[in-house]
Amino acid sequence: MKIAVPSTEPTLEGYVANKIGTASYLLIIETYDMSFEAIDAPSQSSGAGAGVRALSLVMDKGAQVILVGHISPFIVNGFADQGIKIVTQVSGKVGETVKNYMDALDTRQNNPDPQPETPSSQDQWRAAMDMGLRQFRAFLPLVTGVVLLLGLFQGFISEQKLVSLFSGTVLQDSFWGACMGSILTGNPVNSYVIAKSLFSMGVGISGITALMLTWVNVGLIQLPAEAKALGTGFALVRNLAGFIMAVIISCVISMFAGGWI
Amino acid sequence: MIRPWLFPLGVVCLYGIGLMLAPENTEKAFDKSCSIFRHLVLPICLCLIMMVALNRFLSPKTVTQFLGKSSGIKGLFISSLAGILSMGPVYAWYPLFKSMKEKGTTNFHLANFMGCRSIKPVLLPVLVGYLGWRFAGVFVLACLAGAFLVACIVSLFCSESPPN
Repeated sequence: MKIAVPSTEPTLEGYVANKIGTASYLLIIETYDMSFEAIDAPSQSSGAGAGVRALSLVMDKGAQVILVGHISPFIVNGFADQGIKIVTQVSGKVGETVKNYMDALDTRQNNPDPQPETPSSQDQWRAAMDMGLRQFRAFLPLVTGVVLLLGLFQGFISEQKLVSLFSGTVLQDSFWGACMGSILTGNPVNSYVIAKSLFSMGVGISGITALMLTWVNVGLIQLPAEAKALGTGFALVRNLAGFIMAVIISCVISMFAGGWI
Repeated sequence: MIRPWLFPLGVVCLYGIGLMLAPENTEKAFDKSCSIFRHLVLPICLCLIMMVALNRFLSPKTVTQFLGKSSGIKGLFISSLAGILSMGPVYAWYPLFKSMKEKGTTNFHLANFMGCRSIKPVLLPVLVGYLGWRFAGVFVLACLAGAFLVACIVSLFCSESPPN
């Protein structure tokens, strides 16, 4: 059987690497004679995909077992479904580790009542937290930029300037209301407050409705962040559809419910 | 490491230029940004907690069952309810949306979630107080209908990617 071990050196005297993505070498060891192939592991500078590429290399080489220091329990379970066993919390010299594993395997085969190795609850929580923080960290720069840009816009464009855009025509007010809401995005309650103050300044119901609909649903300034999260196509289609829908709905509401406020 | 920070650094440069040309407005803009950041803290914490829970408990199989292609009315109800109950600005939720999409949530349900965010039961009294109960009722129904229609359009034009 073939066992893959991420290693610090291209020999059995190397030490088991803590993580497969950061290892210098991948050793594929044939257990019946301890012959092995040493492969240069994907470079760490190639980014977050190094671990995935290393695992892919290991699968291509036909390894049935991977011995490693630490790996996400989700990957352990996923590979178990593929018939590849991953053993974690492994340390020490590669050669000795493989021999110890084979001895343990022989012992288990002689005592047939194996306990499946599942990650502990603590490991699973830690992995879930690590993944959550990693996902969030990836978005932090974009969210920071979006918030700073929003502040810049709100600081330089006054309410009076915005009100001057509304002419009283249903379609035109809907359009400008939708534009305002698309740029000045934020919490829904803020849109209610602004809508009320615009209404008291004489802006029509179509403009107010369009603003409230687009305030939460459409966002021009955070479009890059949405594209990064969900894809450029999704972001563009959703925002454009949301904008058009807001204009249509606000015109309809204005025509049928204009006297209700 | 530096590349993701180029965009916010660019905006900071705009602040620098603004400070030289219009210091009062720039100061106002900075105050607005700080206020937005302060209001983001709670939604982001909530979002992070949900992401950790999602990563811990929900497998792609489970997410697909409730919010995947064949989840039907149940999925529509869940995504609408989740959007209604979510709080804070939408950009605080993007990391969670990405995670949900990777686990198999369809574009339809994500778009519906985002569309239903306009409806906030807790704020309905405010809306009624400001603009009347009839307008509030019509607004809520219009939001739900609009969210559904936008979700249909997104589903039609955007292809689904398989869950990781």
